[in-house]
Amino acid sequence: MSAAAARIDSFSFHGDAGAALRNVQLSVRPGTLTAVLGGSGSGKTTLGKLLAGWLRAGHSGVLHGSLALGAEVLEFRGGSGDPRINPAAWSGRVGYVPQDAGAILSSVRSTVAEELAFGLENRGVARPEMIRQVARIAEQTGLSALLDRDPAQLSGGELRRLAVACAVIVEPQVLVLDEPLASLDAEGAGELRALVDGLLDAGTAVVLLSQAADALARNAGHWIILDGGTAVAEGPPADVEKGAVLRDAGVLAEGPDTGTPVRLPTAAAVAPGSVVPGSVAPAAAVPVLELRGIGFGYAAAKTPTGRPAKGPAGSLPASDLLRGVDLTVLPGEIVAITGTNGTGKSTLLRHFNGLLRPQAGEVLVEGRSIAGIRTGRIAASVGLLFQQPRDQLFERTVLREVGFGLRRLAGSPEAAAGRAQEALAAVGLSDAAQAHPAELASSRQRLLALATVLARRPAVIALDEPTVGLDRHGIERLQHATAAAAARGAGVVLVTHDLAYARTNAHRVLALDGGSLREL
Amino acid sequence: MSLHPLTALTAACCAAVVTTAAGSWPLSVAVALAAALLAARAGVAARVLTAAGVILGPLFLSLLVLHGLFFPEGHTVLAQWGPARITAEGLDFALELGSRTAASVLLLLLFSFTVSVPDLVTALAARRVPPQFSFVLASTLTLVPAMAGRLEKIRRAQEARGLVVERGLLSRLAAARLQAVPLVLGLVEDAGARAQALDARGFGTPGPRTSYRQLQDPPAQRILRAAALLLAAAAVVLRLVTAWPAAVPA
Repeated sequence: MSAAAARIDSFSFHGDAGAALRNVQLSVRPGTLTAVLGGSGSGKTTLGKLLAGWLRAGHSGVLHGSLALGAEVLEFRGGSGDPRINPAAWSGRVGYVPQDAGAILSSVRSTVAEELAFGLENRGVARPEMIRQVARIAEQTGLSALLDRDPAQLSGGELRRLAVACAVIVEPQVLVLDEPLASLDAEGAGELRALVDGLLDAGTAVVLLSQAADALARNAGHWIILDGGTAVAEGPPADVEKGAVLRDAGVLAEGPDTGTPVRLPTAAAVAPGSVVPGSVAPAAAVPVLELRGIGFGYAAAKTPTGRPAKGPAGSLPASDLLRGVDLTVLPGEIVAITGTNGTGKSTLLRHFNGLLRPQAGEVLVEGRSIAGIRTGRIAASVGLLFQQPRDQLFERTVLREVGFGLRRLAGSPEAAAGRAQEALAAVGLSDAAQAHPAELASSRQRLLALATVLARRPAVIALDEPTVGLDRHGIERLQHATAAAAARGAGVVLVTHDLAYARTNAHRVLALDGGSLREL
Repeated sequence: MSLHPLTALTAACCAAVVTTAAGSWPLSVAVALAAALLAARAGVAARVLTAAGVILGPLFLSLLVLHGLFFPEGHTVLAQWGPARITAEGLDFALELGSRTAASVLLLLLFSFTVSVPDLVTALAARRVPPQFSFVLASTLTLVPAMAGRLEKIRRAQEARGLVVERGLLSRLAAARLQAVPLVLGLVEDAGARAQALDARGFGTPGPRTSYRQLQDPPAQRILRAAALLLAAAAVVLRLVTAWPAAVPA
């Protein structure tokens, strides 16, 4: 018998004209893994949240269809007589781990153990039993050594495991995981896969929502492919993979064929003074970016007064993250920097435009030191795409967003408008020019943030984990946009945990390891 | 020995009540200084004083204008411009009221910046305060630091897009607007997701709940709290008794 089943004839959010989901059916048996794959905006999360009671019929939208848990079947006809789901009781049977793992945390608990206990506290479980349960689930999820840590201080992989633990501590029969591997490094992903295997062995039915046919998805016995809110294919992975449906739906393939290889422009071929395509870097080409012996560390220890400890001038604190980092980026060159979570990749990028200032060494942009120049000014030469695109966006429309501050750079309003349109076209957002940035799906927000960087045509483009959250279509836009920027003569530095993407899309791949860079 | 959050709360509130009841500016100033000193010892002096400045600055100004310049009962005139006159009595009254408020504000800020929020939530839960109330309280106490962290991230992201904030007021206001948009949208979005997560984790469930975290509440602190409450009550009664004849119109 199935542990859970859903038949969604249609589901539409209140206030939306169209249906977010149509004609999707799902049935999962205990101890099996089912993968729901689709590009961004395909309705995966909506399906997962409906199944787990995070979105409730009547409360969040109108549902026609049925939800079944074990022998209990709830029929929804979109009327006021529909059954009501009690989210607390429902979550005891279907757990859900959101893509943003931190969102499941209560945010008012100070240790991992207390966060784990939160769901039990609310259900009135006696304290001795709670202590047993917390120890058991911590053992199962590999959190035993972290029980006294502050949840806010966990790494991405640890946080994801805590989120899973919070969902499974009440022992649901079904667990829905939304993009569980997103932004995890190889080690974190491996640990999470082991955790899922353990849950499957224990008889939990696991539903995976993902836009990549990754290693985890390949373990699934059944795939459902969503595109535009409807199921376009389903069956055993081997059968589904035969056609072009995965690719058309925007699902990323795992492994060395991440994205389609693009023809990389030859580095420095378009450097000023050199117009011969395919020529090697002329010795005289001025690097667009040069790091000389960068040293940096966050003050880890705090003094008793709460102020960060400062070492004597010129000396590095003991906990330095970067030690003597040297890097030279030529015009037209694409450099990828990889490394595990927490090695300081983002920290290094922030030195390019002065958001962080080195404690040792110096940064040169287009041959000039940026010491003492304000970040807002350096931004004319260095464009930086952050991990959280939403933090970068603030205008009323997509077009205004890209056009922000362009007039000063482009010279005339016409030139600025042209550049804005061109940048939007490069990332495939021309059709959304008048939309509000906040209404875009998160993957399109990332592409919009990329467009705001491209439109300024900086000499150095720095991208922090640009592939995260992008589906196949988005990845292709990103590949072409970075290749085009490099062809124009920009130096591109991208930080990614995705080694396959780095190898396909960069001239050089460097690893940040132990505080310094080495060639891979 | 660390203070039970309720002991700290009681101490702060009772000290504020006693100071208000006493109505003597040297005492108020002494209490305010003591609060500032304790804040410095706890390493939160900068944050407490900044917040106090934001709250008390406008208040002091209005007190000076209202009572310093226009105090009807004042007769010892120190200076006069038309209807506005500085009287010794008016200044005295403004000083009295200002120092009293400053003491109370500093005490409560000291408490809110030093209290361990999880301990406070645990203490309230143990006293059967509705969890929704303690959640709102805890979120409020953690909201300001969380917002500050978020604003910093937004500012960095926007500077990286070429936003230059000049020293002028107009430039700062424009920058504030640009930062407010992602901040507010982000907070609203988070609140929606958080509500769904809290529901799913049984937060809204009626019925008894238990607590994993346990707090030490030594008998000495219970006695201290009772004593502080008695003292505060006595101060209020004493104040009422001594002020009574004067307060009743003849």
